Formats: sequence, structure tokens, C-alpha cells
Amino acid sequence: MLNLWMRTSALISLLVVVVMLGFLLQQSWPYWQHDGLNPLLSGDWYPYEHLFGLAAAIIGSFWAALIALAIAIPTGLAAAVMSTEILPGPWRSLMRSGMELLAGIPSVVYGLLGLWILLPLLQSNLHLLTGHNLLAAGLLLSVMVLPTIMVMTQDALCEVSSHQRDTAASLGMGWSARLWRVLLPQAWPGIRSGILLALGRALGETMAVMLVVGSMDRIPDPWYNLLAPAQTLTSRIGREIGESAFGSMHFSALMACGLLLALITITISMLAHIRSDKISVNRP
Amino acid sequence: MQRISYFILAAVFLGAQAHDAAAVTLHAAGSTTVLPVVSTAAAAYHRQHPDVTITVSGGGSGVGIASMIQHTADIGMASREIDAEEAAKLNGKVDVLTIAKDAVAVVVSKAVYVGGVHQLSLRQIADIYRGKIKNWETLGGPDAQILVIDKEASRGTRHVFAEAVLGDAHARAPGASVISGSNNEEQALVAHSDQAIGMLSNAWLNDDVRGIAVGEGNKAIFPDIGHVRDSSYPISRSLHILLSKKGPPEAREFANFLLSPQGQAIVKKSGYLPVR
Repeated sequence: MLNLWMRTSALISLLVVVVMLGFLLQQSWPYWQHDGLNPLLSGDWYPYEHLFGLAAAIIGSFWAALIALAIAIPTGLAAAVMSTEILPGPWRSLMRSGMELLAGIPSVVYGLLGLWILLPLLQSNLHLLTGHNLLAAGLLLSVMVLPTIMVMTQDALCEVSSHQRDTAASLGMGWSARLWRVLLPQAWPGIRSGILLALGRALGETMAVMLVVGSMDRIPDPWYNLLAPAQTLTSRIGREIGESAFGSMHFSALMACGLLLALITITISMLAHIRSDKISVNRP
Repeated sequence: MQRISYFILAAVFLGAQAHDAAAVTLHAAGSTTVLPVVSTAAAAYHRQHPDVTITVSGGGSGVGIASMIQHTADIGMASREIDAEEAAKLNGKVDVLTIAKDAVAVVVSKAVYVGGVHQLSLRQIADIYRGKIKNWETLGGPDAQILVIDKEASRGTRHVFAEAVLGDAHARAPGASVISGSNNEEQALVAHSDQAIGMLSNAWLNDDVRGIAVGEGNKAIFPDIGHVRDSSYPISRSLHILLSKKGPPEAREFANFLLSPQGQAIVKKSGYLPVR
């Protein structure tokens, strides 16, 4: 009975992935058929003129996720090292529960905090026309993915055996050498999973990003201009899915955005698996 | 945003209702301009007809019309006319009832208004949205860059505004700096800036969000109900309720309620011009 239940559950989880990808592909098919892969390179998105270029949103999504990781990785790692290796027990659990609390906050709350606190701050301090931009989205996302990276790193660090720690200490290694040569390399597979999970969340986050990114379908100009309103794949879907009629080209184009997001996330997690297999094989 | 955060349960079942066999729940969706009227009316209607509950959500006129095409709502709300593409999909299966009229105000931040910009011609507004005028100083206002707020393409207010100002409901606005969605979002954006221009129904104006007069010289007209009534304000429009011809009879009764003296009083109280 248990066996049957487990088999069915496994099958269902597999089916969900297949059905979801199949649905996205089927719904976005008219779109790909119409223009091929050209829209991936065009930034013009004007549904009423039947122009559905995805480049602006793709670039926006990547920038936002990149900023988020650039801030969250060093911060998350440092916080995890601090709490597992340096702080005494009570503080450690306090930090841990703080992070878990942070992870439990709904994204719309982050979005509203961003809207009311972060945007005015950016606007006045950087003398911008509006605080809506990729930097705001990235900053907000960095807070949102921080708990993932920190908690996963904490777990990974805790799993480094005391045997290894003792050996490192008995070899007379200093604190920084122990950290860089023993602790972090040993914990790396776990840390990497944390980073990839965080990347997935940063790419897929909709609500919070939608509220602060500005939703302008423009490719950043110049390409590193993060201080102008922009668009991400998720925020475009969120803003426009309600109005697009099921079966229309507009709907199909939005499904194409969804398919791209799904493919990117799946590729990332598959890469993670391939790499972690290799490492576990190489490990003694 | 408002699809989720703006979800309003207009009327709620009172705890111990045993006879909910006859109870009907209707859903209204669409324009956030029409929404205040419908949600207030829904609460009033529920008091008179406890067996009919009406939930109301926003999303914009595009969503209201799409919800009729896809049968995801019983009552659609729209603050613009149905365009040809949508009409083809609706295929005559929907009745459009006009419940009110209003003005699409050209709004500016308080600092801009106080700084001296009290009126703009249609051409000047068009130049701002086309990116040809970028500073308020050019228009007699403070020396500040203009924050040009455009709306999502399917929004009713956007259609009406772009048609009057740019000549085409779907015209591009290359001068736009940021895109907003619902009326709340637009209102908040303008209120939080010192240099913004935007478009908003006249009922949503307040001290921080000022409507300016539209027109040339001393012929400029302020966006108020009097000027909608005598059709002198150039960016006026009708607010509609959409009903599926095969929809529940309760939805039609509610629409009649909106057109009754009581419903029209709610329209007036919401800041719009009653049609009856």
C-alpha cells in the first residue's frame, strides 16, 4: 500500500512537470511559429501593433537576479559563517529563526515595503526621476533570497565533520585558512544548491518585482543603466495576463515568456545536478 | 497588482444563514474607475437582497472585457468603448449599459501645480508624452524634469486619453518614464513625486494630485462634473457595465439597480455624472 502510494506520488510529480511544460509549449506554439526565434532579439513589445519582442524583459530578468545574487551571496555566506562558527548558541538560533521568519514573509509585503520605503529613498538619494528601476528590484530580491542562501549555507557548514575541523586546527591552520581551505570547500555543494535555489526564486518572483520595476518595455540604455524603469518576464506576465484573451497571439506571447522562465530554471537545476554528481564521485 | 491586492469582498454572508439554497454569488471585474460605484452599490444591493452577494475585483477595462469573452465574471466593468477586435470575439453576446460619465483629468503633482502649471493645451500634453518636452520650465513651471506616467496598454483611461491627446488609443508614448496600472497606483505615483504628469478619472483628484485645465489660452477647461455635463471638457467618456445575454438574471437586476435613482445617487456620490 505504502509502496503504491509512493510510486503514484512520484509519478504525479513527474507528470506535473511534463504537463506544465507541454501546456506552455502548446499555448506558446503559435507565437514561435509566427516569428521563430527573432523576438528573442527584439526589444519592441507593443501588443496592439502585434510586436512581441522579448529582449527587454529577458535582460531585465537577468539584471534583477544578478544584482540580487551579487548582494545576497556574500551577505548570506558571511552571516552563515558568523552564526555557525563564531556566535554562541543562543545567538545562533536567534539568527536562524530571524532568517526563517524573513523567508516566511509573503512577497506582496516585500513589494509594498519596497514601494513605500525603498523607492522614495532611491529617488531622493540618487536624484532620480522615479525610484522604479532594476536596482530597486534587485535590492528587494536580494533581501528575499538572502534567507535561502544563509539557511542552506548554515546547514552545509554544520555538516562539515568535527574530524575535519580538528585536523585543520591540529595542523596549525589559522582561522582564515581554515575558513577558505576547509570549511567553505567542504560545504560548497550545499552552498551551491542554496545559490541556485535563490537564483530560481529571484528569476521567478513576480509580485514584489512588478511593484517596483517600472514595467517599461525598454532595453536598458546603455546596457548597464540600472537606474531607469525596466521590465522583467514575470512582471510582464503578471501585468498583462488578465487582459489577454485565451488563444490570442498576445496570450501566446505571454505563455512564451512563461516557457522561457521554466526552461531557464529547469536548465539551472539540471546543471546543479550534473555538477553535484561529479563532485560526489570525486569525493573520497 | 489589484487583481490580488484589490480584491474586495463587497458583501459578506452573515454567519448563520440557514437558507442559502437560494443564495447567488455574482462576480464583477474590470475597470478600477467603475469599481468604487459597483462595490458601493453591491453592498447596498446586498442589504436589500440578502440572498445576492456580489464580489468585485479590479484589473482594468481590458480585464473586464476579457472576463466577458472568457466567461470568468458575471458583470464586466469598462471605462472605455469595446474595440473592434474585442467586439469580434464578443460576437454580440454581451449587452453594454452606460451607468455614468466622467472626465479623464490630466493630473500633475502638487508641486508642479503650485509652481505655476495650471493648464496645458492638448498639443503640449502630446509633446510631453512624445518626449519632445522634458522639463516643466518650458511650460512655465518649476525647473524639474517631467516624470511622465503612462498606463498599461489595455486600461480604459489610457485608451480614452491617448485617443484624445495622441490621436490613437494605442499610440506609443516614447516620452513615458514609468507605467502604472490601477487608479490607486497612478494616484500614489503622482502624489509621491514633485514632478509628475499622469491621467486619472476626475473622481480621484485630491490635494496632492491636481487636475489641470486642458485647452488653449482662456478657453482651457477644468475637469469637473459641470464640464462633463455640458460636454465642454475634451477628454470625457462613458462608464459601462457589461452583461452576458445568457448570464444570470440576478446580474441584470443588479444592473437595473445601478440605473435606478438609488444606484444613480451612488454614481453621483462617487464623483461621476449620473446618466439618469
